[in-house]
Amino acid sequence: MSVHLAQIEISWDFIFDNLPLFLDGVRITIFISLVAFGLAIVFGLVVALLRMSQSRILQPIMASYVNLFRAIPLLVFILFVYYGVAISFNLQVAAIQAGIFALTLQYSAWLGEIFRGGIQAVPHGQREAALSVGMGRVQTFLTVVLPQATRIVIPPTGNMFIGMIKDSSLVYLIGVPELLRVSNRLANRTFRYFEVYLTTVLIYLVLTTAVYFGVKYLESRFALVDLLNTKARAFSPFARRRTAHLREIQETVRASSGSTSASVGDVPQDLTDGESLAPRRPGSVREKGS
Amino acid sequence: MSLADGDSSVVVQLRQIHKTFGSNHVLKGIELDVERGQHIVIFGPSGSGKSTLLRTMNLLEEPDSGSVRFEGREFGPGMPGEKPASRGKPRVLRQQIGMVFQQFNLFPHLTALDNVALGLRRVTKVNRDEAELRSAESLHRVGLLDKIGSFPAQLSGGQQQRVAIARALVMEPKVMLFDEPTSALDPELVSEVLNAMRVLAESGMTMVVVTHEMGFARGVGDFNVFMDNGVIVEQGGREIFTEAREQRTRAFIDAVL
Repeated sequence: MSVHLAQIEISWDFIFDNLPLFLDGVRITIFISLVAFGLAIVFGLVVALLRMSQSRILQPIMASYVNLFRAIPLLVFILFVYYGVAISFNLQVAAIQAGIFALTLQYSAWLGEIFRGGIQAVPHGQREAALSVGMGRVQTFLTVVLPQATRIVIPPTGNMFIGMIKDSSLVYLIGVPELLRVSNRLANRTFRYFEVYLTTVLIYLVLTTAVYFGVKYLESRFALVDLLNTKARAFSPFARRRTAHLREIQETVRASSGSTSASVGDVPQDLTDGESLAPRRPGSVREKGS
Repeated sequence: MSLADGDSSVVVQLRQIHKTFGSNHVLKGIELDVERGQHIVIFGPSGSGKSTLLRTMNLLEEPDSGSVRFEGREFGPGMPGEKPASRGKPRVLRQQIGMVFQQFNLFPHLTALDNVALGLRRVTKVNRDEAELRSAESLHRVGLLDKIGSFPAQLSGGQQQRVAIARALVMEPKVMLFDEPTSALDPELVSEVLNAMRVLAESGMTMVVVTHEMGFARGVGDFNVFMDNGVIVEQGGREIFTEAREQRTRAFIDAVL
């Protein structure tokens, strides 16, 4: 199977024959991206939290860290880490480790800024509301601030992950046999530049598109669906169980309050009669619940 | 030092409360007693310090100096120039004082039920089933049992504020603080929130309300405090609305009524 395009003869069989080679490269690309990004998320969170700390020492150190790593071109930094430091000082570091290290440091600076923005975007009133019921600062952060900040940072973090997959190709310069290096070698050996690089492009496209859909899935997973008033519950067994549970709670409360009216509309009738706000009979409902 | 010392009917006692924001002295030696079952209304022009005063009662605002006593226990930084021998933790104080905010401050990522249940589960460590049942009861009290699965964004402003009231009530507080609870609401939604507050007042709840709703103040407030420029200008029963002693109070009431 071949197609003539001007003077070039394009052979697709050649691609299929060399697919295992490409896949080896893809495997390393994915490995580098996942490990570096996972580490960058952890360090990024640390960077964000330290940057927001009250400390007069840590705060400026973290600000400098962010500014420094955002200022250096990634490729230069990768070369510096591997040839400039690891090789020059004869450190026992593999190229792939140096590459992951460089990517992690740069991406944690970027992610740190994204996370800081996300955390600071949660209104101060949210913290106050949590504190006002007696919650502690750590509890408040973990249950009120972080979940909201997570929703805010999912889209930009997804963009960063796409960037990471693309930037992982830069480590080919220090000899890591990831997708681009594999492609390069194959092209140089066979002179089939068009087929090889077209395949490389398509593979990167598949990878980044997969991330795009993954992010969309995450966003929908975090969507706020009123289980009692939508049909979305039909899609997930968890949602169905939760809906049934909520209905059960409603029934229990209605039964115990002796109210026969099944629904209370926007005009709260039970607020005007003064009955429903009367002190609760001690333990009446709780016994049923336990 | 005062009549109220040792008086068990006083739940919250503020003495010599001072607070500055930068060069702005917003509270200038406030003294106030909140008695059990009392419904205190704090009113006054904006910037007079009334919200700040309310927020010092549960230490969301830490006073620079002054005594904040709750049921006799000191939680504040102490009188000017002296440190209290022991000082209670703000968390302990806040568990016993409910607060409702102008902007509702519901947690947007949680359902109405989970908004109410969060404090029970995290603070009082009630198990999930019981916390949810008690929260649903609390929502039922404000007429929102049907909305337990809704998220704040799916509720009207009035409904959100009623969820906020339920969230505070479920902790079984001894005092409820309301910080301009109807100021952010569309006019047609104000009455449902005021009704809920009125019923709550009738049930005997101790309440401190910062509000511009003078009709509500006249109907429910049995002790009214007029603040201006960081001081309590005048305080008293309902007669304050008809026969205020101070010129400033009269001028403000005339302007808003």
